[in-house]
Amino acid sequence: MAEKEVIIELKDVHKTFGSRNVLRGVSLQVYKGETLVIMGGSGCGKSTVLRHMVGSIRPDSGSVFMKGHNLSELNEDGLDKLRKKFGILFQSGALLDSLNVKENVSMPLREHTKLDENIINIMVKMKLELVGLRGFEDLMPAQLSGGMKKRVGLARAIVMDPEIIFYDEPTAGLDPIVAGVIDKLIIDLRTKLQITSVVVTHDMNSVFRIADRIAMLHEGKILQVGTKAEFRNTPDPMAKQFVNGEPEGPINFFMSSDDYLEELTK
Amino acid sequence: MQIKVEDKSGIKVCYAEGDIDINSSPQVKKAFDKIIQTKSGKVLINLEKVGYIDSSGLATLVEILKNVKGFGGKLKLCNLSSKVRSLFEITKLEKLFDIKDTETDAIGTF
Repeated sequence: MAEKEVIIELKDVHKTFGSRNVLRGVSLQVYKGETLVIMGGSGCGKSTVLRHMVGSIRPDSGSVFMKGHNLSELNEDGLDKLRKKFGILFQSGALLDSLNVKENVSMPLREHTKLDENIINIMVKMKLELVGLRGFEDLMPAQLSGGMKKRVGLARAIVMDPEIIFYDEPTAGLDPIVAGVIDKLIIDLRTKLQITSVVVTHDMNSVFRIADRIAMLHEGKILQVGTKAEFRNTPDPMAKQFVNGEPEGPINFFMSSDDYLEELTK
Repeated sequence: MQIKVEDKSGIKVCYAEGDIDINSSPQVKKAFDKIIQTKSGKVLINLEKVGYIDSSGLATLVEILKNVKGFGGKLKLCNLSSKVRSLFEITKLEKLFDIKDTETDAIGTF
């Protein structure tokens, strides 16, 4: 079997915000054409890993490589070139409120290409059809629901036909049907277009639908990387607790009650 | 990207070679604008040597189809690789275009 091509690699990445060690030596590889899901509890560092992968923040130590380029060594021009090869779906959709749906989706095309207006209009319609929003071109973001905004954000993320798509909580806040539509689109993009996807989520239904591999983060470290089957049958008590959504277990949701009482009487 | 045109039984058969992507789409559009100006009623695009078509390329083909239909002409596509065909499928464009497996099939149905 041919060796898998690594398209993104984090090597021993450390990141501190103030006094918080958010990432404590994360090493992770993303293979070309796969859907890698990064999961973990709130605040475990998932989104920080994603932000390192897209070059929006740089590690305090360690390195991040995309398509063989060390992101820390690229200047803004180099990063811009690389950014044309990937799309990002932000958690909120991140639409510009002053632009309508069509203008939001077509923005990357107007910024980075010299395509005719007619071609741009057709492309926008094609992408909106993919996310089930054709016919909504003229609406403003304020007239859209949260789920619709997210789908417009997804249409914009894929409008340049990126090689890699990063999704930050793509199904959070969506009803189950729309979540299923988004998941199907992620699967279609992988199977039909061989697009690499990195998805940050803690929606377990979605994880088991879309993932080729899963990386679980806990307290700024990779706890386990494996397939869906490996996670379903994991012997690791923390991964097991997370997958099964159990409130009791080795992962503490609450700090100890002693700390709480101490804090109150400080 | 190269486009060679041959006249076969009154049909303009256009052989595209290379990827039709964001860089080459404007060139493809220009080449077909010239072909369309001749008001050829029958246009066949042979995509055998096209490895990849991105969204701008698909949109360009839609625009060409609109223009050909605009003067009552017919446009067909043939010899799509499985990858290119799946690009038409994912964007639901396979229903918009008349796609034939081979050039002979396509020519026979104009």
